[in-house]
Amino acid sequence: MTSIKEQLRNEPNYIPVKKSKKKIIGSIIYYIVGITLSLLFIFPLLYMVSASTKTPEADAFSAGTIMMFLPDFSNITHIFDNYAVIFGEYGVWKYALNSFAYAAIVIVFNIIVNGLAGYVLAKFDFPGKGFFNFIILFLIVVPVETSIIPLYSIAKQILGLKGNLSVLAVVLPSIISVFNIFLFTQFFSSIPKEYEEAMHIDGASRLRVFFDLILPTSKPIVATTAVFTFIGVWNDYIWPSMVLPNAGDDSWPLLPIQAALNSIRSIENITNGEIMASLVVTSIPIFVLYAAAQKYIVKGFGTAGLKM
Amino acid sequence: MKKSIALLLLSTILLAGCAGGTDEGGGGEGGGSGAVKLKIRFHVDSSSAEGIAYKKVVDKFNVDYASENIKVTTAFVARSAGDSQYEAQLSTDMQEGTLPDIFTFDAPNCAAYAQTGYLYDFTNDLTAAEKDKFITLNSYNGKIYGIPIQESSAGFYYNKNLFAQAGIDVSGITVDNPWTFSEFKTACAKLANIGVTPVDMRMDATKDETATYLLYPFIYAAGGSFVDSTGLVAQGYFNSDASKRGYQFLLDLVKANYTNYGIGSTDFFTGQVGMYLSSGWTIPDLDNKYKTTFPDRNSWGLLPYPKDQIAASANGSWSFGIGNNSRKDKEPVLKLLKYLTNAQSSEAITNATGMIPANKEVNKNYEPNSPEDVLLQQLSKTGINRPATVGYPQFSNVFKAVISDLRNIDNAGLSSFIDNKALQLQNELDKIK
Amino acid sequence: MVLALLLILLVLLAIFAANFVRDLIYRYKHQKSTKKYHKQEVITALLLLLPAVILGFLFVLLPIFFSLGYAFTDFDLLKPNDINFVGFDNFKTLFTELFNKGDIFYALRNTALFVVMVVPLQIGIALLLALFCNNKRRGTTIFKVCFFAPVAISLSVTAFLWLTLLSPNPAGIMNSILGSFGIPPQDFLGNKDTVMLWMVLISAWQGCGYQMLIFLSALGNIRKDLYEAARVDGANVFQRFFTVTVPGLRPTLLYIIITVFIGACRVMIQPMLLTGYVDRSMTLSYYMYTQGFTYRHVGYSCAVALILTIVIGTITLLQRKFLGEKK
Repeated sequence: MTSIKEQLRNEPNYIPVKKSKKKIIGSIIYYIVGITLSLLFIFPLLYMVSASTKTPEADAFSAGTIMMFLPDFSNITHIFDNYAVIFGEYGVWKYALNSFAYAAIVIVFNIIVNGLAGYVLAKFDFPGKGFFNFIILFLIVVPVETSIIPLYSIAKQILGLKGNLSVLAVVLPSIISVFNIFLFTQFFSSIPKEYEEAMHIDGASRLRVFFDLILPTSKPIVATTAVFTFIGVWNDYIWPSMVLPNAGDDSWPLLPIQAALNSIRSIENITNGEIMASLVVTSIPIFVLYAAAQKYIVKGFGTAGLKM
Repeated sequence: MKKSIALLLLSTILLAGCAGGTDEGGGGEGGGSGAVKLKIRFHVDSSSAEGIAYKKVVDKFNVDYASENIKVTTAFVARSAGDSQYEAQLSTDMQEGTLPDIFTFDAPNCAAYAQTGYLYDFTNDLTAAEKDKFITLNSYNGKIYGIPIQESSAGFYYNKNLFAQAGIDVSGITVDNPWTFSEFKTACAKLANIGVTPVDMRMDATKDETATYLLYPFIYAAGGSFVDSTGLVAQGYFNSDASKRGYQFLLDLVKANYTNYGIGSTDFFTGQVGMYLSSGWTIPDLDNKYKTTFPDRNSWGLLPYPKDQIAASANGSWSFGIGNNSRKDKEPVLKLLKYLTNAQSSEAITNATGMIPANKEVNKNYEPNSPEDVLLQQLSKTGINRPATVGYPQFSNVFKAVISDLRNIDNAGLSSFIDNKALQLQNELDKIK
Repeated sequence: MVLALLLILLVLLAIFAANFVRDLIYRYKHQKSTKKYHKQEVITALLLLLPAVILGFLFVLLPIFFSLGYAFTDFDLLKPNDINFVGFDNFKTLFTELFNKGDIFYALRNTALFVVMVVPLQIGIALLLALFCNNKRRGTTIFKVCFFAPVAISLSVTAFLWLTLLSPNPAGIMNSILGSFGIPPQDFLGNKDTVMLWMVLISAWQGCGYQMLIFLSALGNIRKDLYEAARVDGANVFQRFFTVTVPGLRPTLLYIIITVFIGACRVMIQPMLLTGYVDRSMTLSYYMYTQGFTYRHVGYSCAVALILTIVIGTITLLQRKFLGEKK
């Protein structure tokens, strides 16, 4: 039998009038453990932020001690010096804008292209479906490390994506994601067929069903793929720096941020503080986006159960 | 499903032969308007001091040669992901016949690029006097393929305060009269006595080229070598008795705890380490960045490599090479190459990088026995190239594996360990077609 | 090259057509009135698939086909105009090297060790973290973001920090901690007996945030009334975990095992940044990368990739067969 008290406790907004001692101790232990664990996972972040505020000398003297993870307070007026160098001297903001542009384009098309494919594989009945499903599973398993050389030849020689068209060589391969098709298929399969049929009878075209029904009811998976696509595009540096022409002239550079920073990091005599400042800058958008979409991501993976 | 797999694999095998492709892309030939358009590619970031210096030199060339209708465009491809990315690009250029007219390359890659036809042989395009202007030239099988942009050497930076405390006198040590392996160990012992780590041999810098660059001279100094003159035989060279003596010296330093694998990258700069093996790049850092330990040049100095059978020091930097592209008339390219390496350009570039000019005509007026002077003298007197082999990356990896594993080897096991590594290197060299 | 492209395209189209016709015939033979293909639906389906098919063909399938093709050639990165068909030579070299205890032997051994340790560890940690966060207390969102942080942080930073933490110096951070318990200084990454263990710990730490998210979503989907029922039946925390939580996670678990396994088989960056290319820690992917890019043997490297793919694929299929839901 459930008492009234227990029923109350199951209410989302229930606030107990008086917590028992045992519960308070439990909470304290919980938070101590939680904070310790969190520190174990974010110590690199603490280091990045604190090192980004330091001069090379302060950085050297803090190496190997707990001071590594604490900002240099003796230097409070110069805390952003390294950031000034990164943004001023190296013009990192231009590359950041590029990255946002690439990411935006890739995310939109990625969701449409892979979403449509997932929709077809989840909801359509057509011959050859087994073949596509097989290819998708097969591709999730294949290691792709060696395909970068042929990929380069395809982009440059077969498709001729050179000069300013190189931008397409960055964007196009990122639009297709077998893994996202898999995720979309899983998620869309769980949408009850009745919804769709109700709309279909209304005479809506399948494309309209996709945009007006499937995508809006699938916010979690859209958010999930968007965030992970963003992380992918934002962090990718080897491929863009291979296919994009490096601006030798005064024109606007085409490189995305990680490729540019990777290039900047190769400069001899760049300081550790400047490198860390650049890493902090590149990490911020990822954390903001992730924290914002976190609620959806959890649902996005969940609904379909990810059956393989 | 099974049928699909079988078909996928079958088609792959059938297609293998034709997968290569032999497209001929557009060549590097200039337009028909009479203007000669040259392309040059640098290996550094365009916003670095070095990149800016290159840009300035090229801009100046464009102004000076406007009357001859030569126009040069620059491209900067920083080798951020190691050589592989730079090479993948070169490879595609090669395939399409669009190699840049001039590109920069790391000295030890000269053999591979020359052998595979990336570099144009300009032995006969330089006069004897022109050749004589440079401290070194990049050659392979007696042919000249490159001119160094600047020169680089390395040595032992030392903390003068710690040396004074330990009672070590190094005033007599010069490039002409270097210290010996045993004097080096004695100095280490004295430093150990005052409770500091004697020397950072960069034993842990095996994740990139650093350890190879800094440590290979010790093997040569002991009278050893790495590969034969073809560059394809390591057995009997890499593991010769003399080579093993060189590794033994490094092992001795590790076993005596004169150096170790846990020295932090900045420990020398904070006064915890007596000596620091590093290249010329460290000079500006010591001059500017660590004022507490090193307020001025009275607090630090640079010592040459110690000698054993012979004196040997590290050298080799990036060089300019002429791309072996479809352009038949190399005259304008040679003009550009000579311009890039003349005294004026060389000075402009080395002023930006702090390195040693490759062109001997540049008179930097280094003070005798100043750090720069030690490096310059080492280059001309004891500098010795890294092995010239098509399999240089293989050599470098095996060498670094030796360095990384010395900590797990005892004196008795060293010989068989080096034999084993020589075999490993030989196996890799045998894979080269 | 264009010729090869067209050939591959034709072959793929042929395979698709074969499957298409086979499905049609199958459906025709086992005809049930409700299960007919609708012509309109089939055409729409193929049209909507078209963008994904074109992009997937060009940028996913084609490179894989090319690299599989290269496995039977002597493609040297520096000699792109001199590629010759060499049959199974690369595979011969590969197996000879394996049996002579060459680099690939160590790579295989280390990778196997790594996979065996990291899969249970990473999944276990992820599950514990998910259980830890799976309640309505305030602040769990912050914990979730923190646990996920290493997934998003650049590997080069974390590698640098772990190198500092694990410095073999007696004064290094980890050695100081161990020293306070009376444990002598260790060379964590230099010792061949412990280096893979640390690779495993670091990789699990770096990657588990992702699996934690998936577990969290699966936990959220377990019906609350099942817990209530178990509670009413007098089951304690552990009994509830094994009778309700574990069965509820089962479908997700297979997915997680497979993806973590595949990821583990491809481990490369950790040894690259933490130790360099040495016997004690090189992995198959790192070996493949070194052979293909550093040593320029693209053909050989593709042969290794092909073998690796077959091995990973086989094990994955076995996992599906034995761990999957019984239909």
